[in-house]
Amino acid sequence: MASDPQSAANQRIVEDLVSRLRRRQVVGSRATALETLLVLRQVISKARFSNIDQLTDVIRSVGRRLVEAQPKEHSVGNTVRKVLHHIREEYHTASGPPAVESSFSIAKFVLQGQPRRQTVIPKSEARVPLKENDPDDPDSFARVLKPVLMEAIQDVFDELETVYDNIAKNAKDHIHSDEIILTLGMSKTVQSFLKSAAHYRNYTVIVAETAPSFGGREMAKSLSSAGISTFLVPDSSIYALMSRVNKVILGAHAILANGGMFATSGSLLAATAARSYSTPVVVCAGQFKLTPLWNLYHEYGALDFGDPSAVLGFEEGDLVDKVDVVNPYYDYVRPELLDVFITNYGDHPPSSIYRLLKETYDDEDNEL
Amino acid sequence: MSSSREGAGGADGSADGPKSRGLRIFSHFGLPKTPGHQIKGDIHPAIIKLGLQFSEFKICGANARCIATLTAFKTVIQDYVTPPHNTLSRHLMTHLSPQITHLVNARPMSVTMGNAIRQLKLEISDSDIDLPEQDAKDELCQKIDNYIRDRIIIADEVIEDLAVKKIKEGDVVLTYARSSLVEKILLRAHSQNKHFSVIVIDSRPLLEGKTLLHSLTSTIPPIPCTYALLPALPSLITDADVVLLGAHSLHANGSVYSRAGTAMVAMLAKEHSVPVMLCCETYKFSETVMLDGFGKNELAPVKFSPGAPKSNSNLEVLNPLYDSTPASCITAVVTEVGLIPPTSISSIPLALGRTTL
Repeated sequence: MASDPQSAANQRIVEDLVSRLRRRQVVGSRATALETLLVLRQVISKARFSNIDQLTDVIRSVGRRLVEAQPKEHSVGNTVRKVLHHIREEYHTASGPPAVESSFSIAKFVLQGQPRRQTVIPKSEARVPLKENDPDDPDSFARVLKPVLMEAIQDVFDELETVYDNIAKNAKDHIHSDEIILTLGMSKTVQSFLKSAAHYRNYTVIVAETAPSFGGREMAKSLSSAGISTFLVPDSSIYALMSRVNKVILGAHAILANGGMFATSGSLLAATAARSYSTPVVVCAGQFKLTPLWNLYHEYGALDFGDPSAVLGFEEGDLVDKVDVVNPYYDYVRPELLDVFITNYGDHPPSSIYRLLKETYDDEDNEL
Repeated sequence: MSSSREGAGGADGSADGPKSRGLRIFSHFGLPKTPGHQIKGDIHPAIIKLGLQFSEFKICGANARCIATLTAFKTVIQDYVTPPHNTLSRHLMTHLSPQITHLVNARPMSVTMGNAIRQLKLEISDSDIDLPEQDAKDELCQKIDNYIRDRIIIADEVIEDLAVKKIKEGDVVLTYARSSLVEKILLRAHSQNKHFSVIVIDSRPLLEGKTLLHSLTSTIPPIPCTYALLPALPSLITDADVVLLGAHSLHANGSVYSRAGTAMVAMLAKEHSVPVMLCCETYKFSETVMLDGFGKNELAPVKFSPGAPKSNSNLEVLNPLYDSTPASCITAVVTEVGLIPPTSISSIPLALGRTTL
């Protein structure tokens, strides 16, 4: 199969993304999810397969390599899982008898009453009988299935494209007039959420600047330019100001199966401080951040480390040799510290994340 | 009203015009003072110098500011001449008041300075009318020296002895920013050949932890140090065996007013069951009650946030200097009268004898 020119082309695309992930040229959950999806679309369109298992094997092996390239970008694996899930769904609708209306779904349950596209419109295309492992024409299976798969991938694309809008559309129900919101770091999801709420409400945002990346400064600039009254404070004053804060809104890097999350370092401090004042903590995150992983053994978020020179630069030359410098990217925030996840599939408490995961991915893909 | 709004508006002077909403809740924060503020009345040059050092944060920290103030007052007292038809015990305080006001204008008064000045007032009014002027002044200077010696220097040594005992061989000590007392404790423990390492947690606006790092690593052999900013604390707190913190002041309800960020270090340490030892001389006790770090605070001057975006009509850059740690997060307070729970602060003045405080 490696001699196949098409699969060689696939190899190239995959290797390209692998190296960019390794070099951190692609960072951020949404960016990596989009890139992964692009690669998967190419791979599927070029892949040769004559039954569903061959197809999933191809995708899984690509997924494995991408995940190994950068295990901390969980949305890569999530996108692969999601695509696999969609492929199986399409395969079942295309082959078997029309599936019975799926059992109770918590995502649909929460969304009920909202005019959304949650009901899958049955595809009424002329059904070509799907034949697996046809000895006469081994490509027929792929030929029939590929257009449907492309459509399914397009759906995932559309979802990623609209994820910020879909999360932000209910922002006004969460932020009320004259509230004081605390946030930190630079999260595009939170940014669009807050800006959307600003169309309806007058409120104040306190942004912790989140050293050493200072993503909070960027966030404060962006929010204030949208006309939101913004205060930029150092991370050290989160606790002092918390007594006046009505709500903490955070972004997530990955949502875990137990309802906890990985998020920009500083999030755990803010969430813990919020709990000591009984301030609600709201997390805004797209569904592609749902990760079927557990973090039971890491009490702390020392999972990935950034550049120490951002913390203690070479201008402190004599210290650099003698001192260990720690600069972790992420915190692990326990589910007890969080109140709600606002996703593009409705609002969920941390305790129902496991259920959402079951609906989003197939169990067999948890380990790619 | 307008002047208080200006106060929170920062030093850019553009306080007029439509300011952002929500500003008023921050309006009571102390105004970051611009250096070279107006000199009103007969201010002694030593005090003018000190005022500049305060407003420029050249002298920073509760102990350093108190010692510097008292030392400057000694010069003021020595240069003072009682006007005719007056007595030193009645008139000296009216001479000192504008000096104090000048210092307060440079930077809000610390609790330590307040306590020391109150003591000084007491000594002045108690000074013997019949004493020759020079003798009375010498006696006051002697009393100031005694205060510095007893309440700060000797107190620190006793606290060092007590706290060093709590650092065991192989311990990892975590501290936040820089407290002069914690620094002395760590250096003392090191000089006793104890082997331990230190995690220094730091944060803007002041980044005082770097100064602590310099002094800890310039010992021979250097103390093994780890340095991280406050957001990285959750990754490091699990390694710590004991947390040592300093204080600006300690209040009657047991809450600790200290450098912003201290509260979160203590909170997280408590959550991970790491003992938090607060090192604090008894002269830092205040009889007032502090409920949160918001009611009373002070803002750092703009020069401490070089990279931050400029304030505009919608964006305000605030750098609070202090926060308040609830008593529940503190395991023990190390004072020169022993290790006590933070809620027993109010019994200490009695233990020391009220009249000498």
